[in-house]
Amino acid sequence: MNLIAGIDVSAGALAAQKTRLDIVAQNIANAQTTRTPNGGPYQRQIVSFESELVRHSGSGPSLQSVKVAAISADRTPGQQVYNPQHPDAGPDGLVMMPNVNLSYEMVDLITASRAYEANLTIVKNARLMAMKALEIGK
Amino acid sequence: MSPIGSVNPLNSAPLGRVDAPLPKISLPGGPHTAAPADGFGQMLDGLVATVEAKQGDANAITRQVLLGDNDQLHQSVIAMQEASVAFNMMVEVRNKLVESYQELMRMQV
Repeated sequence: MNLIAGIDVSAGALAAQKTRLDIVAQNIANAQTTRTPNGGPYQRQIVSFESELVRHSGSGPSLQSVKVAAISADRTPGQQVYNPQHPDAGPDGLVMMPNVNLSYEMVDLITASRAYEANLTIVKNARLMAMKALEIGK
Repeated sequence: MSPIGSVNPLNSAPLGRVDAPLPKISLPGGPHTAAPADGFGQMLDGLVATVEAKQGDANAITRQVLLGDNDQLHQSVIAMQEASVAFNMMVEVRNKLVESYQELMRMQV
């Protein structure tokens, strides 16, 4: 029994946007990280999404939800800062900084937040429709 | 449908005496001695079980979130909302049942 139609689609989208928010948090947290287990500075991570067919029972169209396809690294080189006192500085005194741009991350953060809100509105309206359907004839 | 005015009282069947014995009326399929055992009651049982299962699911997911095993807060809230809608539907079905029962009880025979 699935009383609230289409809620699985929105649930998938909410999970995907939450992952995106987590990755933005990780990027901002590591904006100054110059050392990683792989060697070199931290590399900015990017989330990409892909559509996913929702298993559907009963009538109605088959719906497509969304899921995280991959979390891949941004390969653009980071800034080089002259800081000879830094423990990770090279022989020429230059430190490789992460390629995280705070402005990009804030834009990503706001986009993810607004997308999450939009999906929550869908959930709210789907529930409202179900509740209104139960009030037929009153 | 013929108009009411065309009925000729002289052509209608002669009226029987008031104290004449009543004709036997036989119910098709013999007398009903017992109510059907399954049917709507069973369906209602199924509905209640489904609602209970939904509430159990919501409970389990909320518990996982609160214990920190799961960070999908929205799944917990969505499960709770689904359980709430299912419960409301069950209450509506019950209200309709009671309403029709009371309507039958008020019926004059």
